[in-house]
Amino acid sequence: MSAIDHYINAILEQGAAEAREDGSAATEAHHLLLAIADDDGSAAHRVLTAAGLGRQTIRNALDREFEHSLNAVGVSLASFGLPKPSRDPKRPPKVGASARLALERGFAASTGKKDLRPTHLLLGILNTGIGTVPRALTLAGIDRADLMARARETLASGNW
Amino acid sequence: MPAEDVPVPEGPADALAAVVALRRLADQLEDAAVEQAMRAGWSWPDVAEALGVTRQAVHKKHAKRLIAVGVTLRRRQ
Repeated sequence: MSAIDHYINAILEQGAAEAREDGSAATEAHHLLLAIADDDGSAAHRVLTAAGLGRQTIRNALDREFEHSLNAVGVSLASFGLPKPSRDPKRPPKVGASARLALERGFAASTGKKDLRPTHLLLGILNTGIGTVPRALTLAGIDRADLMARARETLASGNW
Repeated sequence: MPAEDVPVPEGPADALAAVVALRRLADQLEDAAVEQAMRAGWSWPDVAEALGVTRQAVHKKHAKRLIAVGVTLRRRQ
């Protein structure tokens, strides 16, 4: 397997762990973003950290987006007092529709398999104005277009 | 919350995001509530009836998870 295959596997595995942690039955695009933020050693990770987006900052932004979306229809998380449910550590989450779309967009952002790098995957996650990721970034005060521009600059300089 | 105070989503993006968030919250509540009921000794048919689904459905969705975390389950009836 090539280095990018190993990287994609690692991101999918970490994304699944993130999904399991928040009780999601599927790995979604925002779980992949958390995974990229958690995996240092790539230019994609450096693009995120340079913008102040560490894993915990992204997690907080996603939690805020969740609460904000519930509040939009008058539901408050604070009004639910049930204990956190147990998770089955053996049950792997499926790859959800938003994660598939993000991966497809990431592949499409490269000129081919040989060119594909972690930052292409980051671009694939960021390159939509619809859904949980852009909403969470907006609520966190992050300029998504600027983040994408920085990611493209990194790609142009040939970094892994 | 009084009905007149319930906010209305400002546009389709907020309304659709609310659907996603409510589904996620409902899933979390179901996981927690089923676990709470089974730990309290409820049977699968009773939990299924309370949720308005078949007992096969509730068993298929939750049994492995609860067994994995050591919840003592009553036999299916």
